[in-house]
Amino acid sequence: MDRLNELDPARLRQLQRVGILSGFAAGAWLGAAEAPTKLVTLGVSPVLISFMMVLGVFLARWSLPALVRGTAALKDDVRQAPHLLVWAALGGCLWAVANTLTIFAIKDIGLAIAFPLWNANSLLGILWGTLLFNELRDAGRARWVGVLGGALFMFAGATVLAVTSSAHAPGGNAVRGVVAALTAGALWGTMYIPYRKAYLTGMHPLSFIAFFTIGELVMMTVLALTFVGGPGQVWRELAASRGILFWLLIAGFVWVVGDLFQQYAAKYVGISRGIPLSNTNQLWGLLWGMLVFGELAGGGRSAVIAGSLLMAAGAGAIAFASTPSREYRRWQEAGARESARYGVDPAYVAARMAGDDAGAARARHSPLDWLLVLAATAVFVASAALARVPALQVGWEWAAALTLALVGFLVAGGVALWRTTRFG
Amino acid sequence: MHPTPRSRWRATMGDVHFWIPVAVLAAGLVVLWWIA
Repeated sequence: MDRLNELDPARLRQLQRVGILSGFAAGAWLGAAEAPTKLVTLGVSPVLISFMMVLGVFLARWSLPALVRGTAALKDDVRQAPHLLVWAALGGCLWAVANTLTIFAIKDIGLAIAFPLWNANSLLGILWGTLLFNELRDAGRARWVGVLGGALFMFAGATVLAVTSSAHAPGGNAVRGVVAALTAGALWGTMYIPYRKAYLTGMHPLSFIAFFTIGELVMMTVLALTFVGGPGQVWRELAASRGILFWLLIAGFVWVVGDLFQQYAAKYVGISRGIPLSNTNQLWGLLWGMLVFGELAGGGRSAVIAGSLLMAAGAGAIAFASTPSREYRRWQEAGARESARYGVDPAYVAARMAGDDAGAARARHSPLDWLLVLAATAVFVASAALARVPALQVGWEWAAALTLALVGFLVAGGVALWRTTRFG
Repeated sequence: MHPTPRSRWRATMGDVHFWIPVAVLAAGLVVLWWIA
């Protein structure tokens, strides 16, 4: 391990800052992804809702990388570490099953209780990060307390939010709902193993998500065919639901932007810190629910504020528990282990871990890239033409303010990532 | 030595990290089957 080059501490601080900012931006965008789903009327199969959302996710996960880097860069990445395609697809399968389970959980116990249950995934992320990828090793007691204490604070805050909103829970099968939410948390917490594996082996986040989504779409198609009842029935139900397709495609698109920031957070601050930070999405989801859709109008807002402050304190503690050089060296050791196991060039792995993307300078776009972007845009426009606007009371001023905050995170995160890593 | 597709496949199958998500995915599918 003596061959590992020590990363310049100033560069490490830069990467940490951009990773932390990405984590918070992920929270804002992942939370906003719930907003369009609130416009969806009841009576549609949960599996079909998940399937339509995954269609939006698939479109975004291929069009965004094509637009930002081009598919030629994807091919370069695959040449370096082809085994990661299997890992990415496995991660996508985990996501699809978890997302479907959350819809059942929401149906049975309500979003307010289900959300904190599956957000316990951050505790699992800390476990996997430490056990498998040397995260928090040699980090010192203060940082351990910051990360673990912060995650526990966030869990406590999430529980307060759940209890506050429990009066609004629908009358479903509580045991089934709790099991579904906890299983979704286990799947999502474990999904970060492929994420971290990819970034310790040098894969680019934009390449990873493009292959990740193949797993998502294949698994979701299998689930839809199995549970909805064959291709004919899926098609009939899709056609009958065309009025809500647009909102679910948009939800999927917004989710992908959040997830992309989450990928950068996992890459630059690790999963033990990145997952709790992106779990601030619960706060954003609640803000959208309360301010835009008038949820919790009957009371309980002070408890919501208390729970939110607990979550914010936890996120703050994690944000300040940055990675010291000696811990980063342990990450490098984990990266070296992966490059030896899979025969990936150690120089390539080390450069990518440090945010150096040699391909960024010569990024080029082919006709295929523009075709992908055009096709995705056409699907969104066509579904918008078929969309029904549900008769709901919407606080448009708050919707505009929250959208502005989203754009702010997008610009701040995008500029920081570009300046520091060229989106590497 | 340049790795071959076969050696990479064997490295993946021999990687204990790989089987953790596979096992969790299988468990998730069982739960989904029960619920749906």
